[in-house]
Amino acid sequence: MPAEASRQEILGWVVEVLQQEFEYAPDELTPDTHLIDDLDLDSIDAIDLMVRLEERTGLGFNEEDLKSLRTIRDVVDLFDGRL
Amino acid sequence: MGASEAGRAPGAAAAARGGAAWQAVAERGSIWGLRFTVACYRLLGRRASLGLVYAVVTYFFLTDPAGRRASRAYLARVRRVARTRGGPAATLVPGLRASYRHYCAFALAIVDRLAIWFDRAGDFVFETHGVERFDDLAREGRGAVILGAHLGSFDALRLLAKRTGKTVHVLMFTANAPRINAVFREISPEAEARIIHAAPGSVAAAFEIRACLRRGEHVAILADRMEANDRGRGARVSLLGDPVELPEGPFLLACALGCPLFWMVALREGPARYRVHAEELAPARRVRPAERNGAAAELMAAYAERLEHYTLQAPLQWFNFFDYWGDARAAAGEEAQP
Repeated sequence: MPAEASRQEILGWVVEVLQQEFEYAPDELTPDTHLIDDLDLDSIDAIDLMVRLEERTGLGFNEEDLKSLRTIRDVVDLFDGRL
Repeated sequence: MGASEAGRAPGAAAAARGGAAWQAVAERGSIWGLRFTVACYRLLGRRASLGLVYAVVTYFFLTDPAGRRASRAYLARVRRVARTRGGPAATLVPGLRASYRHYCAFALAIVDRLAIWFDRAGDFVFETHGVERFDDLAREGRGAVILGAHLGSFDALRLLAKRTGKTVHVLMFTANAPRINAVFREISPEAEARIIHAAPGSVAAAFEIRACLRRGEHVAILADRMEANDRGRGARVSLLGDPVELPEGPFLLACALGCPLFWMVALREGPARYRVHAEELAPARRVRPAERNGAAAELMAAYAERLEHYTLQAPLQWFNFFDYWGDARAAAGEEAQP
């Protein structure tokens, strides 16, 4: 992952994974989309999503990181904070 | 492994499955039982402990009609299936005598477990089938999820892993984890470090499992029983002629992580002698989320098929002394017959 990746780029990756792998429609995926309430992700989905994002970015995350995630914006913040 | 199984031993298993309150009570009982058997083994050694364990198991056999009924219904079932599929179970005659032998097999398993944990690990001899696959994985630096069952000896598998230099962590579902841990620390500090605790509603265990796999270490899970923690995340699958509910978690996780998934069992062939089988349930592959449930169902069916296959080979080493299929009461009518 290039160090200069912008928040916009990170958002792009998250949306891309959710769209391609989880098959959500693009208009469902905004920064404010709630992962559980709106997308109905369960804990296995959450792990799956993190694994796919980790593979894309080369970063590693743990359970504590995951706990703070509510929306797509939170996911972007998490990755942004590590770059 | 270990303590939670002892809690489901004949007797405790007479209670209904599942309820969290019951599980807490059973685990308290099993911690006490664990300490007691450990103390006896230390004081008296293997031979005397064997006598003692036989006495305890006989006591449960005599005082636990529900466990007896479950054993009898299970033996009748396994014979029914064996008559069409073949195997030593076909010659079983369900009845008090066979059920008592079933209980005694459990006593032997307990004493072997103690022997493995204490001084006699070196005496155990293994005949292995399929474990070479783990050497391949070691070369690739990959870990696997290994699914076992309450069939044969899980501790024998851990001993074999230790001997062959493989690191195996055991996932344990337990509410009383810290107390059970304390007992294990006393027995074997090294073993305690290798237990992953699955707490209700937490994804911590999944991350821990993933970290182990990435280090090329393995994670073993007993997947033949729903635990309180599974909170209804179970799926039905056919086992020995009728559907049972098994936890979906291990299968879904293997699909999400794309890790190798193995079935493994150690069957007791004689004193300190075990036959070990390891089989890959399906080639490791990462499954798309939309296909995950279907793929998990296939893996679960493959697991149930292996469990059935090996249960028919060693029917008395099936250590689920409760109404596994929910039919023991109905089958109890048979108990009146000779």
